[in-house]
Amino acid sequence: MRELWSLLKTVISPGTFNQMLRSATPVALAAMGGALTEHAGIMNIGMDGMILLGAFVGVIGSYLTASAGLGVLAAVGLGVLVGLLFALFVVKLRSDEFIIGCALNTFAAGATAYLSRAIFGLSGTSGHHVTSLPRLHLNFLNHIPFLGKILNHHSVFVYVTWILVLLMWLFVYKTPWGFWLRASGEQPETLRTAGVSPERMQWLASILCGVFCGLAGAHLSLGYLNGTFTENMSNSRGFIAFACVIFSAANPSKAYLAALMFGFFDALGYRLQGVISSDLTATIPYLITVVMMVYVVVRSRRRRKKNLRQHESLGNLS
Amino acid sequence: MKKLIAIVLALTILAGMFAGCAKKKPAESGEDVTLALVVAGTFGDRSFYDSSKEGVDRLAKDLGVKVTTIECNNENHEPQMRNAADKNQIVVCVGWEFYDIETVAPDYPDVKFIWIDNATSEPIDNVLNITYAQNEGSFLAGYVAAAMSESGVIGAVGGEDSDTINDFIVGYKQGAKYFNPDIRVETNYTGTYDDAAIGKECAIALHDKGADVIFQIASAAGSGVFEAAKEYGFYAIGVDSDQKYIAPEQIICSMKKEVGQSIYTAVSEYLGGDGSKWGTTWVADLSAGYVGVGYGDDTMTQQVPDEVKKQVEDLAKKIVSGEITVDSTRK
Repeated sequence: MRELWSLLKTVISPGTFNQMLRSATPVALAAMGGALTEHAGIMNIGMDGMILLGAFVGVIGSYLTASAGLGVLAAVGLGVLVGLLFALFVVKLRSDEFIIGCALNTFAAGATAYLSRAIFGLSGTSGHHVTSLPRLHLNFLNHIPFLGKILNHHSVFVYVTWILVLLMWLFVYKTPWGFWLRASGEQPETLRTAGVSPERMQWLASILCGVFCGLAGAHLSLGYLNGTFTENMSNSRGFIAFACVIFSAANPSKAYLAALMFGFFDALGYRLQGVISSDLTATIPYLITVVMMVYVVVRSRRRRKKNLRQHESLGNLS
Repeated sequence: MKKLIAIVLALTILAGMFAGCAKKKPAESGEDVTLALVVAGTFGDRSFYDSSKEGVDRLAKDLGVKVTTIECNNENHEPQMRNAADKNQIVVCVGWEFYDIETVAPDYPDVKFIWIDNATSEPIDNVLNITYAQNEGSFLAGYVAAAMSESGVIGAVGGEDSDTINDFIVGYKQGAKYFNPDIRVETNYTGTYDDAAIGKECAIALHDKGADVIFQIASAAGSGVFEAAKEYGFYAIGVDSDQKYIAPEQIICSMKKEVGQSIYTAVSEYLGGDGSKWGTTWVADLSAGYVGVGYGDDTMTQQVPDEVKKQVEDLAKKIVSGEITVDSTRK
């Protein structure tokens, strides 16, 4: 009993929720971008590569200019370029988005490994000074028990992400641009008759997705790891972000919650390893993905049935 | 016209097939000895794989061996091993993952193989297995960790729950208990060797449980352990190479596993005419200095008191003499 209590105490500790916020942030940032391309009707599996490129270019920018802010700017700049490239192939040339996404991931892994070795040598960024992003220490939070501990002392992008999630939610659901964006994926021809080019909205979504993934990468290397780049460091975060997008039906705020959930179970996994085999705890994210997917399917079936019933009752009336 | 093209194409393919069959000439004396280094993961881990590269680089410099390197990036171990054996006289496979060597090596009787970190189930004439007594080195690291811990809790972050990694951990635990029987040793596995963020989170989770000295055994993911040590102000222990230079204020020592040195020794002996090691398993252990504890150099902050360092030396002697037997996951 006492053991159970101490286990519970390590699991439900500020540390767990601290990690939840940290782990969720890069995934959530990428998911914001993924939500936009999803609304525009593009299945974007290239986010993992975009994150990796952002992580690398962020480190290079910060290393060369000794300013983490300029590093982030460089990552955003590259994000725009990658977004343009992605859109060129997927929107303009109508290639298969699945293939282009795969190509992007493979390209990013190879190019970053090659360039990292060319610039930093075999042993990566260690021994080179890379300026990292600042941490926020908010004094007023210290007065709040438990919650204060969870929310304080994070890298600046943990907080920036909250603002971005809100902005993206407003953008998608409360502005005409967001409305066109959603229409470009659902009813592109209707949008065209209304005088707005759906392709333009898809270009916009791709570029913004590049920017968000660039931010996710820069946060990962410059914020999360204080200026460290290791090869393949994105480690499938882009795919977790994609799962969050699907689960949330591309709603930015729900996607953030999904990212938090992944973060929470990650944190739980590392704290349960003393009790459960690490092989089992490592399966947690995949288990959640399966559960999520079942939920998504069930939800869309219900909705379809409901719509059908409404149609039928309308038919009866007329 | 179409027929002509078809015939030309068919001929090209046939020619290609024959070209593939071209037999390579056996190396004549006076030609450079060719060696391929095949690593299971990728370079840049600043420990295991990089150490093997340093070893073959020295072979190239000192003995004029022609070196090729292949990184498998955690896939296609068997075809890469064959690629290497097609073109080289010596093939060094670094990583426990190359177990297909048992079927590959007999196909290349003229090629000398070295398998690092694992051993074939039966001796094969042209395979030299090199394993390391990482349990012995980790015993010493565990002793240092326990001596430096104030909280009475120490930790270890492993790359995966496998025999090789656990061989470090059992030694580490035993060494820690040798210093302080009441010490608690907490472990976490990252499940990845690349993702430094996960390495960092694993270390923080251990720190949350009270660990104030953490041993990293997770390749490049372990650099996250050092990041966590800097941020949260605890001590860390490096692995395979002497890693103290990475964070001299946090890394108190490293458990050294001299992969490069052992490859250098084996190959230079062979080139000197002594190939007697092949067909056996060579356990590179404490007695010959292939595992041990490194403290960086004198220019770096030394956290471990000389007294403890002296005790570690004495313990090493006791392990070599057989007075202390260190547990192992290996039979």
